[in-house]
Amino acid sequence: MSVFYENFERHSGGLGLKAHATHYCPGCGHGLVHKYLAEAIEELGIQDRTVAISPVGCSVFLYYYFDVGNSQAAHGRAPAVAIGHKLANPDSIVVSYQGDGDLASIGLAEIVSTAQLGIPITVIFVNNAIYGMTGGQMAPTTLMGQKSATSPYGRTAAMGLPMKMAELIAGLDGPVYVERVALYDAKQRIKAQKAITKAMKLQVENRGFAFVEVLAECPTHLGMTPEETEHWVKESMLPVFPLGVKKDVVVEPHGAVPAPSFDAERLVGLVGASAEKPPRFMKGFPEHLGGKDVALKLAGSGGDGAQTAAMLIARAAISEGFDATHIPSYGPESRGGTSYADVHVAEDEVLSPASPHPRILVAFNAPSLAKFAPDVVPGGTIVYDSSVIHDVPKVAEGVRLVGVPLTEIAVDLGKAMVKNVVALGALCAATGLFPEETFKTALRQALKDKCALIPLNEEAFAWGVKSVTAPGN
Amino acid sequence: MASPAPVRERPKPFLLDEFCKGCGRCIEACAKNCIEVGHEINPLTGLVPVVLNLDHCNACGLCMDACPEPYGLRPEAKPKASEDFELQDPAKLFGERASQRPKPVAIPPEIVPLPKTEPLVLKGNYAAAVGALLAGCRHVYGYPITPSTEGAELMAKLQPKLDGVFLQAVSEVATVNMMYGCGGAGLPCMTFTSSPGFSLMLEGISYMIGSEVPGVFVNVMRGGPGLGNIAPEQADVKLACRGLGHGNTHAITLAASTPQEMLDLARLSFELSFKYRNPVILLADGYLGQMTGKVVLPETMVKPGLPEWAVFGDAAHRGNLISSIYLDEKDLENFNVHLNEKYARMQAAEQRADLFLCDDAEVLVVSIGTPARMAKGAVEALRLQGVKAGLFRPVSVWPFPIDALKPLLPKARRIVVVEASAGQLEDELRLALSHAGLAVPKIESVRHMGGVLPQTGEVVKAVLSREEVTA
Repeated sequence: MSVFYENFERHSGGLGLKAHATHYCPGCGHGLVHKYLAEAIEELGIQDRTVAISPVGCSVFLYYYFDVGNSQAAHGRAPAVAIGHKLANPDSIVVSYQGDGDLASIGLAEIVSTAQLGIPITVIFVNNAIYGMTGGQMAPTTLMGQKSATSPYGRTAAMGLPMKMAELIAGLDGPVYVERVALYDAKQRIKAQKAITKAMKLQVENRGFAFVEVLAECPTHLGMTPEETEHWVKESMLPVFPLGVKKDVVVEPHGAVPAPSFDAERLVGLVGASAEKPPRFMKGFPEHLGGKDVALKLAGSGGDGAQTAAMLIARAAISEGFDATHIPSYGPESRGGTSYADVHVAEDEVLSPASPHPRILVAFNAPSLAKFAPDVVPGGTIVYDSSVIHDVPKVAEGVRLVGVPLTEIAVDLGKAMVKNVVALGALCAATGLFPEETFKTALRQALKDKCALIPLNEEAFAWGVKSVTAPGN
Repeated sequence: MASPAPVRERPKPFLLDEFCKGCGRCIEACAKNCIEVGHEINPLTGLVPVVLNLDHCNACGLCMDACPEPYGLRPEAKPKASEDFELQDPAKLFGERASQRPKPVAIPPEIVPLPKTEPLVLKGNYAAAVGALLAGCRHVYGYPITPSTEGAELMAKLQPKLDGVFLQAVSEVATVNMMYGCGGAGLPCMTFTSSPGFSLMLEGISYMIGSEVPGVFVNVMRGGPGLGNIAPEQADVKLACRGLGHGNTHAITLAASTPQEMLDLARLSFELSFKYRNPVILLADGYLGQMTGKVVLPETMVKPGLPEWAVFGDAAHRGNLISSIYLDEKDLENFNVHLNEKYARMQAAEQRADLFLCDDAEVLVVSIGTPARMAKGAVEALRLQGVKAGLFRPVSVWPFPIDALKPLLPKARRIVVVEASAGQLEDELRLALSHAGLAVPKIESVRHMGGVLPQTGEVVKAVLSREEVTA
């Protein structure tokens, strides 16, 4: 059979007997399962497309024997690795081959989530009720009362009950086919071979996730002859792990998967890049604000719109050809909790993006004003919401305090949400950071997908400007 | 007239004694009692093969079905008439099997020109995602973790529109193993994670290194240990540079400090990852992940190829194997020697640093990530005060850019390491100096932890506290 390598070169260099004999113990079930898998691959004509994922455990060396693409996974992770292969090449036929320690214990999360995902992958699960490669310790599938290296007095209820994987997987919505088979007599072997072929065929037909649990013999660690083990599987394992089809649903094949796009225009459009030059309204950097770098802080509660306003300032600055940064700071309690933004606008490059000592502060609530007002540098400006802030803390000399009833204005406009845009208008008028048109362009740009909101926001901005420039302020 | 049905000739079983382990599964399978337990030890194998007596055999084939060995009981092959059976090579007895599969050939990546566009305003996490897209990454796996989530969110939004894959895994453990599968298939893949998630991925990264599988990990570091907080810290420098899971592991570890660099270095990470068949770690911090800034798109993007070593699931790559097992001690030692040679090549060729006013610097501030930006502001402030300060910013933390630092050392009287950790960057610096056989000068530090970042003012203060202002 050509799915097996002619010489097992990966088995100790393929020298001598190891070129043609498996590393499995006499009577081990793996050899039979390998044969059935190889026959299925041959019968379906998929040798070139198959990727076999070998697990950790006795069958870790699956790749010694199978002349297909081979990938060896970490303990328990074969289904996740299988997903990686399958999604990389949806045309490949991916088989995850796992033992009970691998699949039912350490890799339980991976097998359950992969099965539920339902993408066409075939899982062959070899259950021999014991850990083979590690030396015969208790597995999740070890029977009650069964002795093992780590249940030397027999498995008790305190160690948990045997895990019925086929039933567990069949209980999920993801798989299309789940069957438990055995190897102990000719009839069962024929059924096992058919089940494995069917599980592979379902993947070839692109129908979905298939899972075959095989009750297999481990003569070495069960301490029996191969013949006794066959009887043991039949007499002892079957009552706990009943054979048969656990799930078999007929579904339409998944559609063809399109090849990933590497279209440059499409990608550039998706990330929002455009060749259109933003209009510029500034003649030079606003150096009247104390140099080539202006530090701002916007502070309030989550929902006040401090982050959005901060982003608009950064956007506006970058449109004008300057550099800008915005760092939001909000805790996990944020949505409704504190929300601060540090913004820098620099002529060439923002060297230090944090604003511990801002030139401009916008405070949306009293705690924010109390916390940050004392840090505003001399000559700076503070815009605060006079609708909600009544006590103004002491500030450095030369700091201009501009109280604007942000909330009131926004509520009068019919949308409390726009108080941050009112604040931007006030900031614009009070500091001369950018011309009004710069802010308005940034606003229109940000709202280009929500055009209906543009007039309201422009009105809010105008009110902000007016509340600072109107006589009496 | 219908032709007579062909007579199906059923072959009887054939056994080369050497290939029989004597398990006896065939004995029970035979209804005609043709097979018996053997009693003679085969001198070649030390095992006791079964004994066949095919006088009553009706060629039902059940014994062959019961045999667990691929080359155990097989249908008897007719020997060539010209040769005596005994003279034939047993391995050739069942006919030659010519392999049809073509030899895998590497398909190189294509460089695709990008239209010229205006600068974008992007958050660091988004910028890294865009960088990955431009590097040709169409397979992203991940598990959401703050403060890296925006990267995964953008990928979830954009990948389906590019017919790519974003899959939210059940855990970070599953994530890294999906990457192992995808990288093993020879395609670029990546994830966004943050410190506790990165910890969970380390075992998988060790496997990727051991199997020489590429993949890019963007680790937006947060405060630890344990659950810690979601504020910026640089506490995974050691993990990335010295602790990538079990075994002898290293990966090129880059540290971005601006959203622009998040894009550029993400892109570079993919290139390096495939160049060396090794994972690459891109470190950012919670601040940088969240920081928005100006980002200019490059002039080109990459359409990935397919390396010859990939286990892609096609005919050309059928003979390939992705695995990290070397049971033979000597083989494993040789493999580790190979890895070490690769690490040495990385150390020679992939050192990267960004130098700001370093040429005449008497005080070298060494820093990465967001603290490096605070430090850059400090350097500028110090220069205004007449202090010859410079910023030495490793862009590759591993390999540490010692070659760029070396010529600066004679002038530099002082080194001040500014970092958001308890000295992990400083340790890298000290190791690099020591390995280069350079005298380790006195190293001062400005450190914060827990999400508190070193600020420009305190770096200035720390430098000035021991500095005579000359201007």
